Amino acid sequence: MSLPHTVAKLIDTSSCIGCKACEVACQEWNDQEFTLGTGGTYQTLPDLAHNFWNLIKFNETEHNGQMAWNMAKYQCMHCADPGCLRACPAPGAIVVLPNGTVDFNHENCIGCGYCITGCPFDVPRLSPKSSKVHKCTLCSDRTAVGLEPACIKACPTHCLSFGKREDLLDQAERRSGQLRADGFQQAGIYNPAGVGGTNVIYVLAHADRPEAYGLPRDPHIPWTVWLWKGPLKWMGNLILLGGVLGTFLHYVRYGPRRVHDDEE
Amino acid sequence: MMMRNDERVPRFSFQERTIHWLAALSFLYAALTGLALWSPRLFWLASIFGGGNTVRGWHPWGGAIFAIVLGFMFRNWAGQMRLDAEDRAWLRQAHRYATHDEEGLPEAGRFNAGQKMLFWTQAISMLFLLFSGVVLWFPETMPRSLRLAVILIHPIAAIISISGIIVHIYMGTAAVPEAFRGMIQGWVRPAWAASHHPKWYREIRKRP
Repeated sequence: MSLPHTVAKLIDTSSCIGCKACEVACQEWNDQEFTLGTGGTYQTLPDLAHNFWNLIKFNETEHNGQMAWNMAKYQCMHCADPGCLRACPAPGAIVVLPNGTVDFNHENCIGCGYCITGCPFDVPRLSPKSSKVHKCTLCSDRTAVGLEPACIKACPTHCLSFGKREDLLDQAERRSGQLRADGFQQAGIYNPAGVGGTNVIYVLAHADRPEAYGLPRDPHIPWTVWLWKGPLKWMGNLILLGGVLGTFLHYVRYGPRRVHDDEE
Repeated sequence: MMMRNDERVPRFSFQERTIHWLAALSFLYAALTGLALWSPRLFWLASIFGGGNTVRGWHPWGGAIFAIVLGFMFRNWAGQMRLDAEDRAWLRQAHRYATHDEEGLPEAGRFNAGQKMLFWTQAISMLFLLFSGVVLWFPETMPRSLRLAVILIHPIAAIISISGIIVHIYMGTAAVPEAFRGMIQGWVRPAWAASHHPKWYREIRKRP
């Protein structure tokens, strides 16, 4: 028996036509209702929502004096080193599946919202209805039985691919090469190392400017989260344990300070 | 000084004791449920208090009640907790108090300098806990930069506060016998008052 391989989603932004089929497929498969946003933009909603996990961002940018539409599907990045998991206090609420999927287990989620703060991509959303946090599951209920995620299935341009992470990285490399040959000299892969790499990988025609796609340039688990769940936790525990032990030892060494009736 | 040892010296009024124990209960609840949310390894504490969802729902309320009660405690005692020159001298030699070598230590009034320090430690950490706690209570409505700050501020203030209370509970129970009765039943023996809080005892003796 072989270990399950790490799976990934590849988003080739250069072939995204902004049809939103992936958004619809996501809503359908996950059986979610949502209220359409308004605001004079082609984007379905201004941002992700607790009941909307997959959003095509219609980023309007300028390139060589021309308006460019950098459409980019945005969802949970399924980080190799997930900040949400680092921040979560409830065991088993956030799990990393053997195939690398970062999944939320709602029966264990307590709705504290720490994961929202821990996420370098600002993805998880608290549901006011369930008081639990929701985000893209990488369709773990589909991949578990060998199906591809709903968004991938719906994509008409093959902008989205799903498969073994290594294979997709090769594919991304080839596609970036094509784009560079076509004149997009800065074409490349977005697979940020700051979070150990992500299982959602992008091909960007302008990989030197990930911000133009609504992606953070160099995402990291926030340093305060690292400090909080790292040194501060150990120091704090040590101080509290030291307090208990210290007072106990004090009693053993010096005992109580009794006052007898005949004292002054 | 002549004294009758069956005499009861009133130490804390009923109102003071009520406030103290309301603070103690709400503190213990907030601290233990807070520890459950502090680390996955301490999450088992949540099961004592009704599970993770209950704890997430009620920990903030426990903290809010503690903050309100501490407000009343502040009104009761803040005036008596001012540190004077003698208190500062006492603090410089606090190790001698801890090792039962009190010869030459400045005499304590109603509260000794250690108790005063505890009071101010709790008052100041309360301010930080309250402010950061409100941010943590409603994370989805708070700006990210603020949330990133309070995840450090809240536990640091909590650790300082809990450390103080660990020492306080030890002092009030095992280390200083009878202090507990002073806070539960409200009275102490004259000998105890004269030994632990001589300046205070002389003052109340003078009163008619």
